[in-house]
Amino acid sequence: MSVKVEVIEGGVPHNNILAAGLVSTLVCLYLTYLNVLTNTELFSFFGGLAVVAALIWGSHTIKVLCSYGIGTGVPSAGMIAFGSGVIAMLLATRFGMLAPIVALVLAAVIGLILGYVSNNILNMKIPAMVQALTEMAVVGALTLMGFAALITGGFTFAELTSGAISVMGMTLPTYQQSFIGGGLIAVAFLLGAIAIQHPFNATLGPGWKQDRMLMLTAECGFLSMIVGAVMSFALISAGSAVIALLVAIIGWVYTYQQYMEMSKRDAAAWLDAKPIPDVEGH
Amino acid sequence: MSAVAAKPAAGGAMNPTAMAVGVVMVLILLGIGYVVSPMVLTYAPTVSPTFALMALIGVVIGGVLIGFGTHFVPVGGAPAAMGQAPGIATGVAMLAAGAGLAGLFGGAWAAEQGLVVAVVTGGIGGGLMMAITCMMVNFVYVFGMGIPSASGKVANDPITGDSQAEYKSQGTEGHGLPFVSFVGGVIGGLLGGAGGTLIYIELLSLYEETLPGMMQITSAQVMPIAVSAAGMFAVGLFLVNAVLTAYNITGTIEGPHDPKFKRWPRAIVASAVASALCGLVAVLIVVPL
Repeated sequence: MSVKVEVIEGGVPHNNILAAGLVSTLVCLYLTYLNVLTNTELFSFFGGLAVVAALIWGSHTIKVLCSYGIGTGVPSAGMIAFGSGVIAMLLATRFGMLAPIVALVLAAVIGLILGYVSNNILNMKIPAMVQALTEMAVVGALTLMGFAALITGGFTFAELTSGAISVMGMTLPTYQQSFIGGGLIAVAFLLGAIAIQHPFNATLGPGWKQDRMLMLTAECGFLSMIVGAVMSFALISAGSAVIALLVAIIGWVYTYQQYMEMSKRDAAAWLDAKPIPDVEGH
Repeated sequence: MSAVAAKPAAGGAMNPTAMAVGVVMVLILLGIGYVVSPMVLTYAPTVSPTFALMALIGVVIGGVLIGFGTHFVPVGGAPAAMGQAPGIATGVAMLAAGAGLAGLFGGAWAAEQGLVVAVVTGGIGGGLMMAITCMMVNFVYVFGMGIPSASGKVANDPITGDSQAEYKSQGTEGHGLPFVSFVGGVIGGLLGGAGGTLIYIELLSLYEETLPGMMQITSAQVMPIAVSAAGMFAVGLFLVNAVLTAYNITGTIEGPHDPKFKRWPRAIVASAVASALCGLVAVLIVVPL
Protein backbone atom coordinates (compact mmCIF):
# COMPACT_ATOMS: atom_id res chain seq x y z
CA MET A 1 0.00 0.00 0.00
CA SER A 2 1.12 3.44 -0.74
CA VAL A 3 1.22 6.27 1.70
CA LYS A 4 -0.68 9.37 0.87
CA VAL A 5 1.71 12.17 1.61
CA GLU A 6 -0.59 15.14 1.37
CA VAL A 7 -4.26 15.61 1.98
CA ILE A 8 -6.49 18.27 0.55
CA GLU A 9 -7.37 20.53 3.41
CA GLY A 10 -10.36 22.66 2.65
CA GLY A 11 -10.78 23.89 -0.86
CA VAL A 12 -13.10 22.60 -3.54
CA PRO A 13 -13.52 18.78 -3.62
CA HIS A 14 -11.99 17.04 -6.60
CA ASN A 15 -15.30 15.76 -7.95
CA ASN A 16 -16.64 19.30 -8.24
CA ILE A 17 -13.56 20.36 -10.19
CA LEU A 18 -13.93 17.26 -12.36
CA ALA A 19 -17.56 18.01 -13.18
CA ALA A 20 -17.02 21.73 -13.74
CA GLY A 21 -13.93 21.12 -15.87
CA LEU A 22 -15.61 18.49 -18.02
CA VAL A 23 -18.78 20.48 -18.63
CA SER A 24 -17.07 23.79 -19.35
CA THR A 25 -14.53 22.14 -21.67
CA LEU A 26 -17.24 20.43 -23.71
CA VAL A 27 -19.40 23.56 -23.79
CA CYS A 28 -16.46 25.71 -24.95
CA LEU A 29 -15.53 23.13 -27.60
CA TYR A 30 -19.09 23.10 -28.92
CA LEU A 31 -19.24 26.89 -28.88
CA THR A 32 -16.50 26.81 -31.56
CA TYR A 33 -19.07 25.00 -33.69
CA LEU A 34 -20.74 28.43 -34.04
CA ASN A 35 -18.00 28.93 -36.64
CA VAL A 36 -19.76 26.45 -38.90
CA LEU A 37 -23.27 27.73 -38.14
CA THR A 38 -22.40 31.38 -38.77
CA ASN A 39 -19.82 30.62 -41.47
CA THR A 40 -17.09 32.67 -39.76
CA GLU A 41 -13.99 31.94 -37.70
CA LEU A 42 -14.73 34.46 -34.98
CA PHE A 43 -15.53 31.88 -32.33
CA SER A 44 -12.22 30.03 -32.52
CA PHE A 45 -11.09 31.58 -29.24
CA PHE A 46 -13.54 29.33 -27.38
CA GLY A 47 -11.11 26.51 -28.21
CA GLY A 48 -8.48 28.30 -26.15
CA LEU A 49 -10.92 28.67 -23.25
CA ALA A 50 -11.62 24.94 -23.49
CA VAL A 51 -7.86 24.39 -23.17
CA VAL A 52 -7.72 26.47 -20.00
CA ALA A 53 -10.73 24.72 -18.46
CA ALA A 54 -9.38 21.25 -19.25
CA LEU A 55 -5.94 22.14 -17.91
CA ILE A 56 -7.36 23.39 -14.60
CA TRP A 57 -9.20 20.10 -14.17
CA GLY A 58 -6.15 18.10 -15.28
CA SER A 59 -3.69 19.78 -12.97
CA HIS A 60 -5.93 19.00 -10.01
CA THR A 61 -6.10 15.37 -11.15
CA ILE A 62 -2.30 15.32 -11.21
CA LYS A 63 -2.35 16.66 -7.66
CA VAL A 64 -4.65 13.81 -6.60
CA LEU A 65 -2.45 11.20 -8.29
CA CYS A 66 0.93 12.58 -7.30
CA SER A 67 -0.10 12.99 -3.65
CA TYR A 68 0.74 9.29 -3.54
CA GLY A 69 4.49 8.86 -3.89
CA ILE A 70 4.57 7.33 -7.37
CA GLY A 71 8.33 7.79 -7.52
CA THR A 72 8.53 8.89 -11.14
CA GLY A 73 8.17 12.62 -10.88
CA VAL A 74 5.21 14.83 -11.69
CA PRO A 75 6.12 15.51 -15.37
CA SER A 76 5.65 11.84 -16.27
CA ALA A 77 1.96 12.20 -15.42
CA GLY A 78 1.61 15.03 -17.91
CA MET A 79 3.42 13.00 -20.55
CA ILE A 80 1.17 9.95 -20.24
CA ALA A 81 -1.90 12.22 -20.24
CA PHE A 82 -1.00 13.68 -23.60
CA GLY A 83 0.55 10.51 -25.01
CA SER A 84 -2.72 8.66 -24.58
CA GLY A 85 -4.81 11.76 -25.29
CA VAL A 86 -3.33 12.51 -28.71
CA ILE A 87 -4.13 8.98 -29.88
CA ALA A 88 -7.77 9.25 -28.85
CA MET A 89 -8.08 12.77 -30.21
CA LEU A 90 -6.76 11.91 -33.69
CA LEU A 91 -9.27 9.10 -34.14
CA ALA A 92 -12.12 11.16 -32.69
CA THR A 93 -11.65 13.95 -35.24
CA ARG A 94 -13.07 11.62 -37.88
CA PHE A 95 -16.51 11.68 -36.28
CA GLY A 96 -17.41 15.20 -37.42
CA MET A 97 -19.62 17.10 -35.02
CA LEU A 98 -19.54 14.28 -32.47
CA ALA A 99 -15.75 14.58 -32.19
CA PRO A 100 -15.54 15.98 -28.61
CA ILE A 101 -17.94 13.35 -27.24
CA VAL A 102 -16.11 10.55 -29.06
CA ALA A 103 -12.77 11.88 -27.82
CA LEU A 104 -14.15 11.86 -24.27
CA VAL A 105 -15.38 8.26 -24.48
CA LEU A 106 -12.40 6.89 -26.39
CA ALA A 107 -9.86 8.59 -24.12
CA ALA A 108 -11.72 7.33 -21.07
CA VAL A 109 -11.52 3.76 -22.39
CA ILE A 110 -7.80 4.09 -23.17
CA GLY A 111 -7.12 5.69 -19.79
CA LEU A 112 -9.13 3.02 -17.99
CA ILE A 113 -7.11 0.22 -19.58
CA LEU A 114 -3.82 2.03 -18.92
CA GLY A 115 -4.92 2.52 -15.32
CA TYR A 116 -5.68 -1.18 -14.98
CA VAL A 117 -2.32 -2.02 -16.54
CA SER A 118 -0.36 0.20 -14.17
CA ASN A 119 -2.31 -0.71 -11.07
CA ASN A 120 -2.54 -4.49 -11.53
CA ILE A 121 0.02 -5.69 -14.05
CA LEU A 122 2.69 -3.26 -12.89
CA ASN A 123 1.53 -3.69 -9.30
CA MET A 124 1.38 0.02 -8.43
CA LYS A 125 -1.66 -0.50 -6.18
CA ILE A 126 -2.47 3.18 -5.86
CA PRO A 127 -6.16 3.78 -5.08
CA ALA A 128 -6.49 6.89 -7.25
CA MET A 129 -4.55 5.45 -10.20
CA VAL A 130 -7.32 4.13 -12.45
CA GLN A 131 -9.53 7.17 -12.08
CA ALA A 132 -6.63 9.59 -12.41
CA LEU A 133 -5.23 8.02 -15.60
CA THR A 134 -8.76 7.91 -17.07
CA GLU A 135 -9.29 11.58 -16.30
CA MET A 136 -5.89 12.55 -17.60
CA ALA A 137 -6.33 10.79 -20.94
CA VAL A 138 -9.62 12.68 -21.34
CA VAL A 139 -7.94 15.95 -20.37
CA GLY A 140 -5.14 15.31 -22.88
CA ALA A 141 -7.57 14.54 -25.70
CA LEU A 142 -9.87 17.50 -24.99
CA THR A 143 -6.95 19.92 -24.55
CA LEU A 144 -5.52 18.95 -27.92
CA MET A 145 -8.96 19.29 -29.47
CA GLY A 146 -9.23 22.74 -27.91
CA PHE A 147 -5.88 23.72 -29.41
CA ALA A 148 -7.07 22.36 -32.77
CA ALA A 149 -10.23 24.45 -32.58
CA LEU A 150 -8.26 27.52 -31.48
CA ILE A 151 -5.73 27.23 -34.31
CA THR A 152 -7.90 26.02 -37.20
CA GLY A 153 -11.40 27.04 -36.17
CA GLY A 154 -12.70 23.46 -36.30
CA PHE A 155 -12.16 20.02 -34.88
CA THR A 156 -13.01 17.63 -37.71
CA PHE A 157 -10.46 15.56 -39.62
CA ALA A 158 -11.07 17.47 -42.87
CA GLU A 159 -10.53 20.84 -41.21
CA LEU A 160 -7.38 19.68 -39.44
CA THR A 161 -5.73 18.19 -42.52
CA SER A 162 -6.48 20.72 -45.25
CA GLY A 163 -5.79 24.38 -45.58
CA ALA A 164 -5.92 26.96 -48.34
CA ILE A 165 -3.10 29.00 -49.76
CA SER A 166 -3.53 31.94 -52.10
CA VAL A 167 -1.04 32.22 -54.92
CA MET A 168 -1.32 35.38 -57.02
CA GLY A 169 -4.97 35.87 -56.21
CA MET A 170 -5.94 32.22 -56.70
CA THR A 171 -6.90 30.08 -53.73
CA LEU A 172 -5.42 26.60 -53.92
CA PRO A 173 -6.04 23.75 -51.52
CA THR A 174 -2.99 22.63 -49.60
CA TYR A 175 -2.36 19.88 -47.08
CA GLN A 176 0.99 21.07 -45.85
CA GLN A 177 -0.46 24.20 -44.31
CA SER A 178 -2.74 22.51 -41.82
CA PHE A 179 -2.87 21.56 -38.15
CA ILE A 180 -1.76 17.96 -38.70
CA GLY A 181 0.09 18.25 -42.01
CA GLY A 182 2.12 21.23 -40.82
CA GLY A 183 3.11 19.59 -37.55
CA LEU A 184 1.36 22.27 -35.45
CA ILE A 185 -0.11 19.37 -33.47
CA ALA A 186 3.36 18.63 -32.09
CA VAL A 187 3.65 22.18 -30.75
CA ALA A 188 0.15 21.97 -29.28
CA PHE A 189 1.10 18.65 -27.70
CA LEU A 190 4.00 20.07 -25.75
CA LEU A 191 2.28 23.39 -24.98
CA GLY A 192 -0.40 21.38 -23.23
CA ALA A 193 1.89 18.77 -21.67
CA ILE A 194 4.07 21.41 -20.04
CA ALA A 195 1.13 23.52 -18.91
CA ILE A 196 -0.57 20.54 -17.25
CA GLN A 197 2.41 19.25 -15.27
CA HIS A 198 4.05 22.52 -14.29
CA PRO A 199 1.54 23.93 -11.76
CA PHE A 200 1.60 21.06 -9.26
CA ASN A 201 5.33 20.58 -9.79
CA ALA A 202 5.87 24.25 -8.96
CA THR A 203 3.52 24.62 -6.00
CA LEU A 204 3.80 21.24 -4.23
CA GLY A 205 5.06 21.07 -0.72
CA PRO A 206 3.85 21.89 2.77
CA GLY A 207 2.59 25.32 1.70
CA TRP A 208 0.44 23.96 -1.11
CA LYS A 209 -2.79 25.88 -1.59
CA GLN A 210 -5.47 24.77 -3.98
CA ASP A 211 -6.49 28.17 -5.29
CA ARG A 212 -2.88 29.19 -5.89
CA MET A 213 -2.15 26.04 -7.92
CA LEU A 214 -5.32 26.37 -9.98
CA MET A 215 -4.59 30.03 -10.66
CA LEU A 216 -1.11 29.08 -11.82
CA THR A 217 -2.69 26.49 -14.11
CA ALA A 218 -4.98 29.10 -15.59
CA GLU A 219 -1.97 31.34 -16.07
CA CYS A 220 -0.05 28.56 -17.85
CA GLY A 221 -3.12 27.78 -19.93
CA PHE A 222 -3.51 31.37 -21.11
CA LEU A 223 0.22 31.54 -21.80
CA SER A 224 -0.13 28.47 -24.03
CA MET A 225 -3.21 30.05 -25.58
CA ILE A 226 -1.17 33.13 -26.54
CA VAL A 227 1.22 30.90 -28.50
CA GLY A 228 -1.70 29.00 -30.01
CA ALA A 229 -3.38 32.26 -31.03
CA VAL A 230 -0.17 33.46 -32.69
CA MET A 231 0.03 30.17 -34.62
CA SER A 232 -3.60 30.56 -35.67
CA PHE A 233 -2.71 33.58 -37.82
CA ALA A 234 -1.42 31.05 -40.36
CA LEU A 235 -4.68 29.18 -40.68
CA ILE A 236 -7.63 31.46 -39.88
CA SER A 237 -8.51 35.04 -40.76
CA ALA A 238 -6.44 37.75 -39.10
CA GLY A 239 -9.45 39.31 -37.36
CA SER A 240 -10.42 36.06 -35.66
CA ALA A 241 -6.83 35.39 -34.64
CA VAL A 242 -6.56 38.90 -33.15
CA ILE A 243 -9.68 38.25 -31.05
CA ALA A 244 -8.17 35.00 -29.76
CA LEU A 245 -4.87 36.75 -29.06
CA LEU A 246 -6.58 39.57 -27.16
CA VAL A 247 -8.63 37.13 -25.07
CA ALA A 248 -5.48 35.18 -24.29
CA ILE A 249 -3.45 38.24 -23.33
CA ILE A 250 -6.21 39.69 -21.14
CA GLY A 251 -6.68 36.32 -19.46
CA TRP A 252 -2.99 35.88 -18.94
CA VAL A 253 -2.45 39.35 -17.43
CA TYR A 254 -5.39 38.88 -15.06
CA THR A 255 -4.39 35.38 -13.92
CA TYR A 256 -0.75 36.37 -13.61
CA GLN A 257 -1.66 39.27 -11.35
CA GLN A 258 -3.95 37.07 -9.29
CA TYR A 259 -1.24 34.43 -9.01
CA MET A 260 1.28 37.01 -7.82
CA GLU A 261 -1.24 38.22 -5.23
CA MET A 262 -1.71 34.68 -3.96
CA SER A 263 2.01 34.03 -3.90
CA LYS A 264 2.50 37.14 -1.76
CA ARG A 265 -0.42 36.07 0.44
CA ASP A 266 1.09 32.60 1.04
CA ALA A 267 4.69 33.73 1.39
CA ALA A 268 6.16 34.00 4.89
CA ALA A 269 7.44 37.45 4.11
CA TRP A 270 7.60 39.63 1.06
CA LEU A 271 10.38 42.02 0.24
CA ASP A 272 10.29 44.09 -2.91
CA ALA A 273 13.96 43.69 -3.62
CA LYS A 274 15.84 45.88 -6.04
CA PRO A 275 18.50 44.77 -8.49
CA ILE A 276 22.02 44.59 -7.11
CA PRO A 277 23.16 48.23 -6.86
CA ASP A 278 26.35 49.34 -8.53
CA VAL A 279 28.93 50.06 -5.90
CA GLU A 280 30.97 53.10 -6.78
CA GLY A 281 34.71 52.83 -7.11
CA HIS A 282 34.77 49.32 -8.49
CA MET B 1 4.06 11.30 7.12
CA SER B 2 6.39 13.56 5.20
CA ALA B 3 7.04 13.30 1.50
CA VAL B 4 10.62 12.25 2.17
CA ALA B 5 9.68 9.23 4.24
CA ALA B 6 7.08 7.90 1.80
CA LYS B 7 8.44 5.10 -0.34
CA PRO B 8 7.09 4.16 -3.75
CA ALA B 9 4.54 1.39 -3.45
CA ALA B 10 5.24 -1.08 -6.23
CA GLY B 11 7.23 -4.06 -5.11
CA GLY B 12 8.95 -6.67 -7.19
CA ALA B 13 6.10 -9.13 -6.90
CA MET B 14 4.29 -10.34 -10.00
CA ASN B 15 0.52 -10.55 -10.15
CA PRO B 16 -0.13 -13.74 -12.18
CA THR B 17 -3.86 -13.11 -12.61
CA ALA B 18 -3.32 -9.61 -13.91
CA MET B 19 -0.53 -10.84 -16.21
CA ALA B 20 -2.91 -13.45 -17.66
CA VAL B 21 -5.60 -10.81 -18.09
CA GLY B 22 -3.02 -8.64 -19.85
CA VAL B 23 -2.07 -11.39 -22.29
CA VAL B 24 -5.75 -12.07 -23.02
CA MET B 25 -6.30 -8.35 -23.62
CA VAL B 26 -3.45 -8.29 -26.14
CA LEU B 27 -4.95 -11.28 -27.96
CA ILE B 28 -8.41 -9.67 -28.01
CA LEU B 29 -7.00 -6.40 -29.34
CA LEU B 30 -5.04 -8.25 -32.02
CA GLY B 31 -8.23 -10.17 -32.84
CA ILE B 32 -10.09 -6.90 -33.37
CA GLY B 33 -7.17 -5.84 -35.54
CA TYR B 34 -7.57 -9.03 -37.59
CA VAL B 35 -11.28 -8.31 -38.08
CA VAL B 36 -10.88 -4.66 -39.11
CA SER B 37 -7.77 -5.30 -41.20
CA PRO B 38 -9.61 -6.22 -44.46
CA MET B 39 -11.73 -3.06 -44.15
CA VAL B 40 -8.83 -0.82 -45.16
CA LEU B 41 -9.10 -2.38 -48.63
CA THR B 42 -11.91 0.12 -49.24
CA TYR B 43 -9.34 2.88 -49.38
CA ALA B 44 -6.32 0.91 -50.62
CA PRO B 45 -7.50 -1.94 -52.89
CA THR B 46 -3.99 -3.05 -53.80
CA VAL B 47 -2.68 -4.05 -50.37
CA SER B 48 -3.05 -7.50 -48.83
CA PRO B 49 -5.99 -8.08 -46.43
CA THR B 50 -3.66 -8.54 -43.45
CA PHE B 51 -1.70 -5.34 -44.18
CA ALA B 52 -3.21 -3.38 -41.28
CA LEU B 53 -2.84 -6.35 -38.91
CA MET B 54 0.87 -6.59 -39.78
CA ALA B 55 1.23 -2.87 -39.03
CA LEU B 56 -0.49 -3.42 -35.68
CA ILE B 57 1.83 -6.33 -34.85
CA GLY B 58 4.82 -4.16 -35.77
CA VAL B 59 3.55 -1.47 -33.42
CA VAL B 60 3.22 -4.00 -30.59
CA ILE B 61 6.77 -5.29 -31.19
CA GLY B 62 8.04 -1.71 -31.23
CA GLY B 63 6.24 -0.89 -27.99
CA VAL B 64 7.63 -3.98 -26.28
CA LEU B 65 11.15 -3.06 -27.45
CA ILE B 66 10.72 0.38 -25.89
CA GLY B 67 9.40 -1.03 -22.62
CA PHE B 68 12.16 -3.61 -22.38
CA GLY B 69 14.93 -1.25 -23.49
CA THR B 70 14.04 1.37 -20.92
CA HIS B 71 15.03 -1.08 -18.15
CA PHE B 72 18.66 -0.93 -19.33
CA VAL B 73 18.93 2.85 -19.04
CA PRO B 74 20.63 4.02 -15.81
CA VAL B 75 18.13 6.46 -14.33
CA GLY B 76 19.25 8.31 -11.25
CA GLY B 77 16.64 10.98 -10.70
CA ALA B 78 17.13 13.74 -8.15
CA PRO B 79 19.48 11.71 -5.87
CA ALA B 80 21.90 11.30 -8.77
CA ALA B 81 21.98 15.05 -9.27
CA MET B 82 23.30 15.33 -5.73
CA GLY B 83 25.81 12.53 -6.26
CA GLN B 84 24.02 10.16 -3.90
CA ALA B 85 22.89 7.50 -6.37
CA PRO B 86 24.32 6.20 -9.64
CA GLY B 87 22.78 7.04 -12.98
CA ILE B 88 21.83 9.95 -15.15
CA ALA B 89 20.24 12.70 -13.12
CA THR B 90 16.74 12.81 -14.59
CA GLY B 91 13.54 10.79 -14.76
CA VAL B 92 12.77 7.64 -16.75
CA ALA B 93 10.21 9.32 -18.97
CA MET B 94 12.61 12.08 -19.98
CA LEU B 95 15.49 9.71 -20.75
CA ALA B 96 13.36 7.22 -22.62
CA ALA B 97 11.70 9.98 -24.61
CA GLY B 98 15.09 11.55 -25.37
CA ALA B 99 16.66 8.31 -26.56
CA GLY B 100 13.57 7.20 -28.45
CA LEU B 101 12.96 10.50 -30.20
CA ALA B 102 16.62 10.83 -31.14
CA GLY B 103 16.37 7.36 -32.65
CA LEU B 104 13.05 8.17 -34.28
CA PHE B 105 14.47 11.23 -36.00
CA GLY B 106 17.45 9.20 -37.16
CA GLY B 107 15.27 6.40 -38.45
CA ALA B 108 12.80 8.74 -40.13
CA TRP B 109 15.57 10.03 -42.39
CA ALA B 110 16.19 6.47 -43.57
CA ALA B 111 12.49 5.64 -44.00
CA GLU B 112 12.84 5.55 -47.78
CA GLN B 113 15.47 2.82 -47.65
CA GLY B 114 13.32 0.05 -46.29
CA LEU B 115 12.32 -1.31 -42.93
CA VAL B 116 15.58 -2.98 -41.87
CA VAL B 117 17.84 -0.05 -42.71
CA ALA B 118 15.49 2.41 -41.05
CA VAL B 119 15.08 0.39 -37.85
CA VAL B 120 18.84 -0.20 -37.57
CA THR B 121 19.47 3.50 -38.18
CA GLY B 122 16.93 4.40 -35.51
CA GLY B 123 18.57 2.02 -33.06
CA ILE B 124 21.98 3.50 -33.75
CA GLY B 125 20.56 7.01 -33.36
CA GLY B 126 19.11 6.17 -29.96
CA GLY B 127 22.24 4.31 -28.84
CA LEU B 128 24.46 7.18 -29.97
CA MET B 129 22.35 9.67 -28.07
CA MET B 130 22.60 7.59 -24.91
CA ALA B 131 26.34 7.03 -25.37
CA ILE B 132 26.95 10.77 -25.66
CA THR B 133 24.69 11.48 -22.69
CA CYS B 134 26.38 8.84 -20.50
CA MET B 135 29.84 10.09 -21.42
CA MET B 136 29.08 13.73 -20.74
CA VAL B 137 27.30 12.81 -17.50
CA ASN B 138 30.43 10.99 -16.37
CA PHE B 139 32.57 13.99 -17.40
CA VAL B 140 30.45 16.20 -15.17
CA TYR B 141 30.47 13.70 -12.31
CA VAL B 142 34.22 13.03 -12.40
CA PHE B 143 35.66 16.39 -13.37
CA GLY B 144 32.88 18.72 -12.24
CA MET B 145 31.65 17.19 -9.00
CA GLY B 146 34.81 15.25 -8.21
CA ILE B 147 33.19 11.90 -7.51
CA PRO B 148 34.32 8.49 -8.78
CA SER B 149 31.92 6.07 -10.44
CA ALA B 150 30.78 3.32 -8.12
CA SER B 151 27.76 1.06 -8.08
CA GLY B 152 25.91 0.49 -4.83
CA LYS B 153 24.01 -2.60 -5.94
CA VAL B 154 26.85 -5.01 -6.83
CA ALA B 155 30.26 -5.69 -5.28
CA ASN B 156 32.02 -6.05 -8.62
CA ASP B 157 31.21 -4.57 -11.98
CA PRO B 158 29.73 -7.53 -13.93
CA ILE B 159 31.61 -6.58 -17.12
CA THR B 160 35.01 -5.31 -16.02
CA GLY B 161 35.14 -7.09 -12.65
CA ASP B 162 36.36 -3.94 -10.89
CA SER B 163 35.43 -3.84 -7.22
CA GLN B 164 33.09 -1.02 -6.29
CA ALA B 165 32.94 -0.83 -2.50
CA GLU B 166 36.21 1.08 -2.00
CA TYR B 167 35.01 3.93 -4.18
CA LYS B 168 31.53 4.21 -2.73
CA SER B 169 31.01 7.07 -0.28
CA GLN B 170 29.36 6.22 2.99
CA GLY B 171 25.71 7.06 3.23
CA THR B 172 25.16 6.92 -0.52
CA GLU B 173 23.86 4.22 -2.82
CA GLY B 174 26.86 4.69 -5.06
CA HIS B 175 27.43 7.52 -7.51
CA GLY B 176 28.60 8.32 -10.98
CA LEU B 177 28.09 6.01 -13.91
CA PRO B 178 29.94 2.66 -13.63
CA PHE B 179 30.93 0.88 -16.84
CA VAL B 180 28.04 -1.59 -16.71
CA SER B 181 25.56 1.29 -16.44
CA PHE B 182 27.16 2.97 -19.44
CA VAL B 183 26.81 -0.21 -21.50
CA GLY B 184 23.25 -0.63 -20.25
CA GLY B 185 22.42 2.91 -21.32
CA VAL B 186 23.69 2.29 -24.85
CA ILE B 187 21.76 -1.00 -25.12
CA GLY B 188 18.63 0.73 -23.83
CA GLY B 189 19.04 3.52 -26.38
CA LEU B 190 19.50 0.96 -29.17
CA LEU B 191 16.33 -0.94 -28.26
CA GLY B 192 14.28 2.20 -27.63
CA GLY B 193 15.35 3.92 -30.83
CA ALA B 194 14.71 0.78 -32.88
CA GLY B 195 11.28 0.33 -31.29
CA GLY B 196 10.25 3.94 -31.85
CA THR B 197 11.36 3.79 -35.48
CA LEU B 198 9.54 0.49 -36.04
CA ILE B 199 6.28 2.06 -34.83
CA TYR B 200 6.79 5.09 -37.04
CA ILE B 201 7.67 3.09 -40.17
CA GLU B 202 4.74 0.69 -39.79
CA LEU B 203 2.21 3.49 -39.32
CA LEU B 204 3.77 5.58 -42.09
CA SER B 205 3.48 2.77 -44.63
CA LEU B 206 -0.12 2.16 -43.54
CA TYR B 207 -1.09 5.82 -43.89
CA GLU B 208 0.76 6.27 -47.18
CA GLU B 209 -1.30 3.45 -48.68
CA THR B 210 -4.71 4.31 -47.27
CA LEU B 211 -4.95 8.09 -46.76
CA PRO B 212 -4.96 8.97 -50.51
CA GLY B 213 -8.07 6.84 -51.00
CA MET B 214 -9.70 8.09 -47.81
CA MET B 215 -9.15 11.80 -48.48
CA GLN B 216 -9.46 11.56 -52.28
CA ILE B 217 -6.10 13.21 -52.93
CA THR B 218 -2.83 12.17 -54.56
CA SER B 219 -0.12 10.30 -52.72
CA ALA B 220 2.22 13.29 -53.06
CA GLN B 221 -0.31 15.56 -51.33
CA VAL B 222 -0.86 13.06 -48.55
CA MET B 223 2.79 12.84 -47.52
CA PRO B 224 2.86 15.68 -44.94
CA ILE B 225 -0.28 14.35 -43.27
CA ALA B 226 0.95 10.74 -43.27
CA VAL B 227 4.34 11.73 -41.85
CA SER B 228 2.86 14.02 -39.20
CA ALA B 229 0.11 11.62 -38.11
CA ALA B 230 2.50 8.65 -37.96
CA GLY B 231 5.02 10.77 -36.07
CA MET B 232 2.43 11.95 -33.54
CA PHE B 233 1.18 8.41 -32.96
CA ALA B 234 4.78 7.24 -32.54
CA VAL B 235 5.49 10.00 -30.01
CA GLY B 236 2.26 9.27 -28.12
CA LEU B 237 2.97 5.54 -28.00
CA PHE B 238 6.53 6.20 -26.97
CA LEU B 239 5.53 8.38 -24.05
CA VAL B 240 2.85 5.94 -22.89
CA ASN B 241 5.33 3.04 -22.95
CA ALA B 242 8.07 5.08 -21.30
CA VAL B 243 5.84 6.23 -18.45
CA LEU B 244 4.44 2.73 -17.87
CA THR B 245 8.02 1.45 -17.65
CA ALA B 246 8.80 4.29 -15.26
CA TYR B 247 5.92 3.12 -13.09
CA ASN B 248 7.34 -0.42 -13.26
CA ILE B 249 10.77 0.52 -11.99
CA THR B 250 9.41 3.23 -9.65
CA GLY B 251 11.88 5.97 -10.19
CA THR B 252 15.48 4.88 -10.30
CA ILE B 253 17.43 1.95 -11.72
CA GLU B 254 21.15 1.43 -12.13
CA GLY B 255 21.14 -0.68 -15.26
CA PRO B 256 20.98 -4.37 -16.19
CA HIS B 257 22.71 -5.43 -12.95
CA ASP B 258 20.12 -3.77 -10.71
CA PRO B 259 17.72 -6.14 -8.86
CA LYS B 260 14.83 -4.05 -10.20
CA PHE B 261 15.80 -5.22 -13.69
CA LYS B 262 14.14 -8.55 -12.90
CA ARG B 263 10.76 -6.84 -13.08
CA TRP B 264 10.96 -6.69 -16.89
CA PRO B 265 8.30 -9.38 -17.59
CA ARG B 266 5.67 -7.09 -16.08
CA ALA B 267 6.73 -4.25 -18.34
CA ILE B 268 6.66 -6.51 -21.42
CA VAL B 269 3.02 -7.42 -20.79
CA ALA B 270 2.09 -3.84 -19.87
CA SER B 271 3.78 -2.42 -22.98
CA ALA B 272 2.15 -5.05 -25.18
CA VAL B 273 -1.31 -4.16 -23.86
CA ALA B 274 -0.75 -0.41 -24.15
CA SER B 275 0.80 -0.67 -27.63
CA ALA B 276 -1.89 -3.02 -28.92
CA LEU B 277 -4.57 -0.66 -27.62
CA CYS B 278 -3.03 2.54 -28.97
CA GLY B 279 -1.92 0.81 -32.18
CA LEU B 280 -5.45 -0.40 -32.78
CA VAL B 281 -6.75 3.15 -32.40
CA ALA B 282 -4.07 4.29 -34.86
CA VAL B 283 -5.24 1.65 -37.36
CA LEU B 284 -8.92 2.50 -36.85
CA ILE B 285 -8.30 6.03 -38.12
CA VAL B 286 -8.03 4.66 -41.68
CA VAL B 287 -10.94 2.22 -41.36
CA PRO B 288 -14.22 3.33 -43.01
CA LEU B 289 -16.79 4.46 -40.46
